[in-house]
This record gives sequence, C-alpha cells and structure tokens, in this order.
Amino acid sequence: MQPAVRTIRNRIHAPRAVPLKRLRFWLICLFFILWAAAISGRLFWLQIVRHQEFVARAEKQQRRTFEVAPRRGILFDRNGHELAMTVQVDSIYADPTAIDDKQTAAHALAAVVHTDPDDDETTEAQIAARLTSGRSFAWIARRVTPAVSAAVKALNLKGVYFDKEFQRFYPDNEIAAQVLGYVGIDDAGLAGLEQRFDAQLHGAPGRMYAAMDARRKVLGSTEREPQPGRNMVLTIDENIQFLAERALDHAMDRTKADNGTVVVQDVHTGQILALAIRPTFNPNQFRHSAPGLLRDHAVSDVYEPGSTFKLVTYSAALDQHVVTPDDILDCHGSVITVAGRVIHDDKGDHFGRISVHDALAHSSNVGAIEVAMKMGPERFYQYIRAFGFGARSGIELPGETRGLLSPLNRWSGSSIASIAMGQEVAVTPIQLSTMVSTIANGGVYLPPHILMPTQPSATDPNQKGAAPQPAPVRPGEEVPDPLPEGAHRVMATLSSAQMRKMMEGVVLFGTGKEAQLNGYSSAGKTGTAQKIDPATHKYSKTMHVASFAGFAPVNNPMIAVAVVIDNPRGNYYGASVSAPVFAEVAQQVLEYLGVPHDTELHAVRAKDKQNAVHEDEDAGSDNAAYAFSTAANELPSDDPLRAAAQQQAMQQAKVPASAAGSVHASPAQPAATGQAVSATPANAAAQPTTRAVMLPDVKRLRVPSLTGLPMRKVIEQAGAAGFEVQMSGTGLCRQQSPDPGTMVPAGTRIQVRCGR
Amino acid sequence: MAAMTTGYYETGRTWSARIAEHNAALLAQQEMRRRRIRTPEFFLAKNFDNSRLVKAPDPVRMREMRIFGAALTVLFSLVMVYGLQHFYAIESSYHVEQEKQLRDQLREENRQLHLTQAELTQPGRIDSMARQLGLSTPQPGQVIHADARPDSATPAVAQAIAPAPPAQ
Repeated sequence: MQPAVRTIRNRIHAPRAVPLKRLRFWLICLFFILWAAAISGRLFWLQIVRHQEFVARAEKQQRRTFEVAPRRGILFDRNGHELAMTVQVDSIYADPTAIDDKQTAAHALAAVVHTDPDDDETTEAQIAARLTSGRSFAWIARRVTPAVSAAVKALNLKGVYFDKEFQRFYPDNEIAAQVLGYVGIDDAGLAGLEQRFDAQLHGAPGRMYAAMDARRKVLGSTEREPQPGRNMVLTIDENIQFLAERALDHAMDRTKADNGTVVVQDVHTGQILALAIRPTFNPNQFRHSAPGLLRDHAVSDVYEPGSTFKLVTYSAALDQHVVTPDDILDCHGSVITVAGRVIHDDKGDHFGRISVHDALAHSSNVGAIEVAMKMGPERFYQYIRAFGFGARSGIELPGETRGLLSPLNRWSGSSIASIAMGQEVAVTPIQLSTMVSTIANGGVYLPPHILMPTQPSATDPNQKGAAPQPAPVRPGEEVPDPLPEGAHRVMATLSSAQMRKMMEGVVLFGTGKEAQLNGYSSAGKTGTAQKIDPATHKYSKTMHVASFAGFAPVNNPMIAVAVVIDNPRGNYYGASVSAPVFAEVAQQVLEYLGVPHDTELHAVRAKDKQNAVHEDEDAGSDNAAYAFSTAANELPSDDPLRAAAQQQAMQQAKVPASAAGSVHASPAQPAATGQAVSATPANAAAQPTTRAVMLPDVKRLRVPSLTGLPMRKVIEQAGAAGFEVQMSGTGLCRQQSPDPGTMVPAGTRIQVRCGR
Repeated sequence: MAAMTTGYYETGRTWSARIAEHNAALLAQQEMRRRRIRTPEFFLAKNFDNSRLVKAPDPVRMREMRIFGAALTVLFSLVMVYGLQHFYAIESSYHVEQEKQLRDQLREENRQLHLTQAELTQPGRIDSMARQLGLSTPQPGQVIHADARPDSATPAVAQAIAPAPPAQ
C-alpha cells in the first residue's frame, strides 16, 4: 500500500520537465507546421519543378493554331468592275459520332444538298458512306448556296455544323470566260489568267494562334495575317467585251460555224479591249463544260490567214518603195506561174493591168504575188517577222503559240507566192489584230497586252484590297513615247498612211463593203482561206476560214478589230461572214467610246432596221410591254416639260456647235435639225421614234484635302463632299489619291492611307 | 433517451413535459448517489470584482496594429486590383474577339454586296432588261456627248431630247 501511495504522491508533487500545456501547444504547432510544409512542398513541386510541363500541357489544351486561307485576288476590268472575285460561302460538315441515326440524317441532307444531278459527292449513298466511315469528321457538301445552307440549318440536325470556305465567282458569267479561266475546288487556277498567274492570285496562308476556354470559345488570338492574292486589272472593257460577244453570237447564229473569235485592240497602246470566243462556257459551272470549250482560240489556234496577210505584203512593198499605190501591176488575166505552180485569182476575177490599190481592194492573188516578187524573199521575210509573225507576242495568256512560219532558208521556190497571199503561213487572231494595229497607229509594232501595266499605288504599293483607279479608253491618245519594251517601228509613217488609204479603198470599193460604218470611216481587208482537210492533207473545198481585219476611223484610228470565223456553213467568204461582224462591233464600240464622227451620218439602211427589229423581237419585248414603255417615256402633249425639253434640246444643240474646234459640231447639228436617223411612220410600231439622247457634262467635284484627319473625319468629310473612300491602315490620314484640288467626277473613290 | 423511448409509446404528454420529468428523475438519482458519498463537499462561492481592471493603453502595439492593418489593406487592394484587371482583361479579350468577328463579318458582307452589285450591273442583264422595257440600241449619231472627252468608266445619265422643229 505505501509504495503505491508514495508513487502517487511523488507523481503528484514532483515538478515536470516540460509543462503539459506547452507540450501540447508545440505538438499541435508541429502538426500544423508539417501540414504547411507538405502543402508548400507540393506547391513548390508543382509550380516550380514541373512548371514547364504544365505550361506545355495548358498550351496544348488551350491554344489552337489555325491556318487562315488567303483570299484570292480580284480580276478587274479596266473600269474597275469585278470580273472574278472570291467570297466566303458555307460548307457543311458533320461529326458522325454525334449522329445517332446516320441513314436518316443522310437521307434528309441529300434531299437538300443534292441540287446538281451531276454531282456524285452529295448523293445519299455517298453521304451515308462518309457518315459511317468511322471518322469524327465528314464533309456533307462544300461551298453551297445560301438557300441550301439555310435549308440545312432549318433541319436542325444534331452533329451537323457549318464552316466558311472561299469560292470564286464570275459575276458576268460567260463574258471573257476563256480569258479569265476558272478555279478548281482547291482554289487552283486551271485555265486562262487564273492559271497563268495562279501564284500571284493565290496569295500566302496565314496563321491564327487562339486561346480557347473550356467551352471552346476564343478568348484571345494573335494572327499572322494571310497575304491575300494580288488584284489584277485587265485591259478588257466589260462593255466592249459584251458588244463583241453579242456580235459574234449573231454571226455564229447566222453561219453555224465551228468557232469564232473577235479581237478588239487599242491601236495606240496594243491593249486588248475585248477578246470574244465562241463557243464558250460559264466559269461558275465549269464542271458542265466540255474541255474543248476551254481552249483560247485567239492565242492557241493558228490558221492560214488568207488574203488578210496581203496587208503585210503591200505594207512591206510600200515601205521599201518597191511600189506606190498608183503603180500599175500586170496580173496577166489573173493567172501567174511561180516555180511551176499555177496560181489563180478568185474564180470570176480576170484582172489585167490594175493599180496597186485596186489589186488590194479586189484581193488579187496575182497582184500580191507580183508585189512580193518585186520585193524579194529576204526583205519580205524581215517585214513578216517585224510584224510579229512567227514569234510569240508575249501576251499574258497561257498556251500562246507563235504560229507557223518557215525560216527563210527553208522556203521553196513558190513559198514567196504562197505566203504573199496568206498561205503556207499560220497566224493567231492576236497576231492578225496586232498587225493591223501596227498599220493603223503609224507603223509601230506594240506588243499586245491583256493586263494593265503595273502602276505603283499612290497610297500603298502593297495594297491588296483596294479597287483600282479606272483607266477607260480615251479617244485621241497617241503612241507612247518612249516606246514600251518590245515595241519597235516596222514601217515609216508615210507608208502606213498610204496603207491606211488603200485599206479604206478595200472597204469603200473592194471586197470589204460590208465593213462600212455609219458616221465613221473604216479600213480593212477580207480573207477567205481554205482549210487543210485532215483526211487528204490537201486544201479542202468545203472547209474555210472567213476573216476580216480592220480598224476605224481611218484618219485617226482608235481600234483595230480582227474577226475569224472557222468553218462557216453556207456562204464562207470573209466579205460576207466576217466583215459584217467587224461593222457591228466597230460601230457600237466607237459610239460607246464617244469617238467623234468623221463622216456624214446616213439614214439607217433597211437591212439595219430589220436587224434592229429582229434584235428587239429576239429580246422578247412584246407589244404590250413596248406600248407601255413608249407611253411611259412619252410626255403628254400639254405637259409643260415637253416645251421645256424642246427648248433645252435646241440650246444644247447650239452649244457644241459653237464650241471652237469641237468635233461634236457635225453630229450635233444633224441631230438638232432632224437630218439624223429618223424612223418612218410605217416602222413606228416596230421601232421607237428616234430622238437625240443627250449625255450631259459629267458633274465634277474638287477633291478635298484629307491629310492629317482622323479616319472618322475622313469618312465624314469625303461623304459630305460626294466621294467614296477606300481606307488602309489606321490612325491619321497620311496620303491620299487623287491629290487635293483635283477635279474628278462625282462618286470617285478616294484612296486614303492612314498611319500613326 | 428513456424519455424519448417512453414518449414514443405514450401519448397525452408534450415533449418538454417528458424532458422535465426525465430530468427530475435523474436529479433524484443524483441526490440518492450523493447521500452514499462519505466525503463532504463544500461549495464555496467566490465573487470576483474586475471592474477596477482596465486595459492599459499600448501605443506601440496600436501603432503596429495600424501599420499591419494598413499593409493588409494595401495588399488586399493590390490583390483586388490585380484580380479585377485580370478578369477584366479576359472579358475584354472576349469582347475584342467578338468585335473582330463582327468586323470580319461586315467585311465579308461588303464583299458579298460588291459581288451582288457586279452581278446586277453585268452588261447582258442590263441589255435584256432594257429591251424588255422597250428600249433599243441607239442609232448612230443619236447619242450626243456634251463632254469633249467622254469617260466610259463614269456612269452616264441620259436625257432624251426631242428633235428641233424644222426651220420655217
């Protein structure tokens, strides 16, 4: 008992080494310290030691890199109208893993997207196959129309999504189709300029680095901007192209030819204003086009020019002073023998001694041969090459051929005779028009171009999205001085003037009467060439190429037109088939360009009236619509505006007549005095009463100064002044084009470059 | 527990009444157990009057506490500013992305409109519509240009003028 009690007493009364309270305190502290140390250590391990690892994982999870496709460059005509441009359209794709009933979905989608029977990719079977392929991504349809896109959205199918892709559109459809070409499904040019300049038009892709949250929303992104394709400006005038194609359509309807080509060229610059080819295709629907339609006959096809090549013969002879227009040639009754080969003129011709200009006017083969033989093959060959034959012109179209011209050392004894009349040589329509342009502009060969010369923009040389400044065709231009690269003088100015007169004689007195214009002088040469029969390798008696090459007006030429109709049915002579096409094209183009008339206007011929009526009937105007529109355009007899309109007409007619040196005096006066075209009462029902149509002076405004203004002020001031604005950059306006103070037509687009 | 158990099977008494009865029974049991304890227990009550005690002012500590409080306030403000900025930046980035998308959308609409304009102004369409309205190709010399250098790029607005009456 006592030891136990003593122990208890000792236990009660002996002092403790560590007080109990302090021990407990430090034990708890130690626990918390260890806990905090564990947390800190873990934090250190995660945020310091494994920092890079987690940053990489976060980036992988949150950051996405997208390739941003570049936008293809725009093709403009010379007036700034879009001929080809790229916009975004919807493409439909699906996540098959999110679709429960794939067959039903495929059926519903195919019913909406399968709009083209020839498209095998959007059939129900194809869609179903892609949905059941086991992948997590499947295209349903690419580049669909807005209507199809809206219809698919209305289906509200789970697992079906939309994406944006670029699609190329050609708003003018078939116009200049072979020149423009088309673009395939992968935005690659496959023909025409689209193919030739695919690298420049395509651009370079960019990249977008985006940070995405848990809901896959982009919460921040940095972009390396894609470099869009370069915009290109063609020398083509959209309206002239339409006029040329319409005239060619008329000719094709008449002749049922295999194909036809019309080239309209500016004689002072060599720029191609129109290049019409039939048959043609719609670049928007290239899948439905036969491969043969893609061929650009103007540069890729050669043909024997026939009598049109006599222009080269006579030009060379005149320039070499071998002959003069009034010299007399002995055509030996339209028969000549050269190196054992007997050559005749056209059947029905029996020319004896005729002048040089008559020989050209009546297209005497013998006369051309006589002239060529006087010149000799060496000099003749030099002029042929100088006119650009036998070599590529360098025009910016793919597939250009240089034609066929035997080198001089391979000429036979009769080659000079054959070539003089356009055989044994093959040319392209572009070469033919360029030759005529050379004669028309005073004897200077200017290489043909389909692209406008690159001009550094006044605002930003690298500006990609800006619309170009219009560069319309202006009458009265001269050959550039100094001459551009590739240009050279072929013949003297006097020789070319003599040649122009002789060509005018062809139209006035010779085989080219159908090429006469109303109010304008014209000059040219017809050509009818036999084609080689591929079966017999001899000249065919049934297959011909009818051509006409000419220019107008004569004294101050503006345009050269070459018309080539391949294998017309029925009448195959160039004088009957191609010359009327030239007349139709040249007449309308000169009127469109506002070229002053240089000859007296005469009443519209009966055939022209019938053609006009036929044209109107073909356009589908019925009598009711016509009567309504006529009534709408006619002012009532008691309308006070009618008297005012008459007074204004008289005043306006006097103004141009009184202008010193104005070339509009002659056409204005006939219109004012009623001597111009007027419909007879008998034709009033079928043809509207012709009245002069006044195009008033274009309202011009002064370009305001925008330099130093912020962007908002620039837009406000330009809009208030009646101008459009094309901005680039940000900040204050640093440069503008046109310059301040320039008088420009209202609505002109001012290009502004801003900077900070 | 016993009360609850008892109450579970009995009715007619409230819960508090049953608790009070149970407590009384426990107290009676404690008193019975207390009677068996031999050691006397004395309960002494000691009253403490702490009204004379006041907390001594400690200016140093007060100053330290104020400085500490101010530092905490500054730290809190910094954290709040940083946090607000951080989340505001995130919100702004969402907004910027929205504006970017809107800008791209408007640019694309602009291009679409340009395309529509080009389609509507194509010469073939204008020509066919003009013919449907009864218009025809102007005859040679019918169009008079008042401008000496007509610009084919500029849209032209024509006005018809009647031919002048014959001279009398």
